[in-house]
Amino acid sequence: MTDNAIRISDLTVRYGRTIAVDRVALSVDRGAVYALVGRNGAGKSSLVRCLLGQQKPESGETMLFGEDAWSRRAALMQRIGVVTEEADAPPEMSVASIARFCSRLYDKWDQSSVEARLKTFGVPLASRFGSLSKGQKKQVSLALALAIAPDLLVLDDPTLGLDVVARKSLFEEVIGDLADRDTTIFITTHDLAGVETFADRVGMMENGRLVLDEEVDALKSRFRRIRFAAQPVAIDTAVLRTTVVRSWGGGAEAIVSNYDDRAFERMRGTSDIGAAEVEAMSLEEIFIAIAGGKS
Amino acid sequence: MKSALVIAARELEEKRFVAYAAVAFAILPFILGLIPAIGGKSPSDAIALGSLTFATGFAVALAVLTGAGFVGRDLSDGRMSFYFSRPVASASIWFGKLTAGILMIVGCFGVIVAPAWLAAGRYWKTFWTLTLGEMSVNVLVCALALFLIAHVIGTFARSRSPLIVADFAAAVLCGVTIRFLVLPLAAGRASMLVTWLGIFLSAALAVAIVGGGAWQLKRGRTDRRRNHRALSQFLWGTMAVALLIAAGCVAWVISAKPSDLTTMVYASRGAGSPFLVLTGRARYRGDYNATYLIDVGDNSARTIDLDSWGLGGVRFTRDGRSVVVPRREKDSADLVIYKRGASNPVETGLTLPATYYPIFVSDDGNRIATIVNGNLSIYDVPQKRSLVSVRVPSDWRSFYQGYFVSPELFRFYVQKEDGLSIYELDTRVRGLRDTGAIADRGFVFFMLDPTVSRMIVQRHNLEGITLNDARSGAVIKTIASENIRNFCFLRDGRMAIVEGPPSKMTLHILSSDGALQRDIPFDGGGRVGFVGDDGTRVVLSVANKESSLRRLVAINLDRGVIERDASLPKDWTMINWENRPPIEPLREVVYGDGAGHIVAWNPVTGARRMVMGG
Repeated sequence: MTDNAIRISDLTVRYGRTIAVDRVALSVDRGAVYALVGRNGAGKSSLVRCLLGQQKPESGETMLFGEDAWSRRAALMQRIGVVTEEADAPPEMSVASIARFCSRLYDKWDQSSVEARLKTFGVPLASRFGSLSKGQKKQVSLALALAIAPDLLVLDDPTLGLDVVARKSLFEEVIGDLADRDTTIFITTHDLAGVETFADRVGMMENGRLVLDEEVDALKSRFRRIRFAAQPVAIDTAVLRTTVVRSWGGGAEAIVSNYDDRAFERMRGTSDIGAAEVEAMSLEEIFIAIAGGKS
Repeated sequence: MKSALVIAARELEEKRFVAYAAVAFAILPFILGLIPAIGGKSPSDAIALGSLTFATGFAVALAVLTGAGFVGRDLSDGRMSFYFSRPVASASIWFGKLTAGILMIVGCFGVIVAPAWLAAGRYWKTFWTLTLGEMSVNVLVCALALFLIAHVIGTFARSRSPLIVADFAAAVLCGVTIRFLVLPLAAGRASMLVTWLGIFLSAALAVAIVGGGAWQLKRGRTDRRRNHRALSQFLWGTMAVALLIAAGCVAWVISAKPSDLTTMVYASRGAGSPFLVLTGRARYRGDYNATYLIDVGDNSARTIDLDSWGLGGVRFTRDGRSVVVPRREKDSADLVIYKRGASNPVETGLTLPATYYPIFVSDDGNRIATIVNGNLSIYDVPQKRSLVSVRVPSDWRSFYQGYFVSPELFRFYVQKEDGLSIYELDTRVRGLRDTGAIADRGFVFFMLDPTVSRMIVQRHNLEGITLNDARSGAVIKTIASENIRNFCFLRDGRMAIVEGPPSKMTLHILSSDGALQRDIPFDGGGRVGFVGDDGTRVVLSVANKESSLRRLVAINLDRGVIERDASLPKDWTMINWENRPPIEPLREVVYGDGAGHIVAWNPVTGARRMVMGG
């Protein structure tokens, strides 16, 4: 039995001459929460389709719980809850009909949990799916995905189009709870602030390539913003790798991607950098720094 | 299976409004029946007619609309992931949706038709030759075919993929291939095989679409372009295989050899010609009629492409060396000439309408006369050019026969209401001349001598025969006789006449000027036919008195005795007659024995030999 809930190796997806996913490799341990971030068009959705066995990659493989996602999709879906980027349920069906339909397809189905969640979200069961707001559709999808107590929950940009309250509800009340119950979560999102509190690992895609794949804590510990009172600042890049350097007023600001207290103190002792203030960074800031730095 | 049913139920539940519409259409004919202007004195008629019309229209429209969208729309709207993110196999998704579509079409048709059937069932046969069951099956088969085809077109069109150009090319290629498969079968009048070919290819198409649907979702899943590509591959791949199989079968059918024949449908042989055109059915080849040109001199045979019209256009030259065949080309026929000893036919360059063959050939086959669209033309084969073309009188709508008196002079006989008219066309003068007539109010039957200078004439309803001038039609001599059974000229210009009651027939041999030379009595039957002569003996086909079976009788003209008397099988086939004797002497009598064999009988020795047949 493998320890990986997800193992993607050398995955390449191509649309004609365009490479959407370029030799991506990553793995997610069972019970972990993995957040995949990236700009629009970075290749996240293509990777998720491969992950769910909905698209055959050009090369490479996607394994879920040790089984090939493409060839074993139908069986694997008994263990996987999915919330897609765009609500895909038939608009003419009522929420109750959709729940009834899904209940007949799964070996285990907790109808009471669906009803309870929808009640919490305030979504009436009799509503026509097409008449629901974007946020409500996501909530219905999530309630359906969770009704099977999935081993893996795949969320493809679940907060897209949701208001602040709905985001909070989604992330804190539901995902946080699931993470505590050892469910593996794979989430693609732009909302880094939302996942920062519970994501164990984060990956970042850019132009089809996975440019970052790291534990969140490690990532956050090595990124620092350093504000200098004076400029110009002469930073020894052999010691501290700076991603972004900006000047403002009489001072300067640098973002360091391999911050280390002792190295910084050593540099301070040997260089004339004057007064400096070191700040921790949020995931969102790190993402902007990396994406902005590359662009 | 369970997943497919769950999906089918979901699809039906989603589209239940269609059932409501069907119920409305079921009620509508009853309302129409109550309106006096529509229902009139027979509201049952209006109910029955309206119901079937609505049911048919509804089923067809539903088939097209549902077929075009039940997969293609989910793909283009990005909703297929709803199914693919559930634990259901691709095949279950396809067959679930397919089942729902079929049930919807069939069910709605039934919903609309059933009330009218119960209310006005006894009127169904009044309006249509088909029973309701037959009609329903026809409508539903058409609707389901449209449903499947609409699915293919819907998937292709909604993918917005340039691959659709390749699909169009493949569809055209399939159509062209099918046409090439049908043509040889149609030429062989194999209507049953054409029907079976149609059924086979339709079934293959249905399998290709149904299987292709499952394949497209298995390979393409939520991606519309990949769905399109997978469906294309499966559909055209399956059709290619089906067409290859069909082509193999057709090739096998049309490759039948004369030895494969079990039944002869048609046999034609020119008097004195070694050529024989034979059409027959071969074993295991259904109703396909294979046609061969057989040279009984060397037992060689070649397949020729002749349709039923073409058979009537075959002409054997009097010298026995050539045969003119109209080879079908779409809506026309190219005349080609097969010559003894030559492997390939000679293209004459002459094209005629495909269904009408007034063709007359000179003794050596170098000149051909045709009458097309009211124009009589004489064509020179070696030069491949028309020598003369004249407008024929507009009252030429009746039977005519033509003969080359010489390569330059063409004479023809036209049966008109007032008798037989005689015309000549001289290629040197290029003028049409009216040379004579034989007045009669009925059909004038005649036989010509080898040089087309004299003719024996038997007028309508007259038992007696006369010797006439073949150019002017003037009577030369009355050959007074009763009980004339048959008559002809022999190759040397003498006349042979069979006369007398069935029990006591006599063969009279007359000189070319009509003087009696010899009377030969023989045991005849009901009917007597002249087969030919070799200068020494004449061969007759004679019906037996008791059994009506026929036999061949060879009578020695010099000795006045019956030399050979051979029975013919019951289902024998033979050989067309000509009213002018051939150049070559009769060496063998060739006939089909009714069991697929061609047999040659030697009147000198009485020996029979097998020419062709299984």
